[in-house]
Amino acid sequence: MARMERRMWDLLLILTAAPHSGDVVTSALRLSQAVLDRGGSVRVWACGYANMMTQDTFGDTKLPNTRDPEGHYPSPSAVVQRMIADGEGRFGWIACTACSEERGAVHHVPQVRHRSPLRLASTVAGARQTLYLGGA
Amino acid sequence: MEAQTAAAGTRAGAGAASYFLLESKGNWAGPTAGAFLMDAVALAEAGHRVRVFLVEDGVLSAVGTDVPEIRRLAAAGAEILVDDFSAAQRALSATTLSPHVRLAGMDVAAAALTEDGCRGVWH
Repeated sequence: MARMERRMWDLLLILTAAPHSGDVVTSALRLSQAVLDRGGSVRVWACGYANMMTQDTFGDTKLPNTRDPEGHYPSPSAVVQRMIADGEGRFGWIACTACSEERGAVHHVPQVRHRSPLRLASTVAGARQTLYLGGA
Repeated sequence: MEAQTAAAGTRAGAGAASYFLLESKGNWAGPTAGAFLMDAVALAEAGHRVRVFLVEDGVLSAVGTDVPEIRRLAAAGAEILVDDFSAAQRALSATTLSPHVRLAGMDVAAAALTEDGCRGVWH
């Protein structure tokens, strides 16, 4: 019987930190971009308050910066959307359904995949390398 | 994606594993930060290839010349890298850092973590 070949991702980042809790979201995005720049593939599994990053209520930009009113500062959801588009299938973002529902954060941008935490183990199995970022 | 092997100063022999350990906690963040670096020392002393990447507040462990964990890591043959972006964000220049470390970009971490067989851990 023919067996379906499973796609393997180069790197899976399980991001458990809340946005603005520190530098960790910046690090996750920098590391993701560095892997993409090398031609690799990256998935981010947003856990806990990291699910707030991709809410569709943010729009494309952050609130105006009064010290730079003409500046353009993309929202976190816009950054994720752009990376998914630029990655052309090599960058993925997964929202944990349980974490999202617990926080009332269920309105993700459409590019984000929704996964039950019951699929975390299979997602880890689908990556050559997995890092947990942000603590428990 | 093709796996590539970055040059590194290690004493790893045949059968040794390769570890890329990323420390993001500052050395005041509690005992776990130092413990993680000492775990890296233990791995290096056991003959494994060890690279430590200090990132975020972890770069502060590389300030000065007398951080015991950094000296132990260097003595054990581990390569110690300091994230250039995190160092710049904290106004650390190369001259304020331990002579046992070198600045590196996130591209170095990306290359290491996509090597075949490399075991990555983020703390």
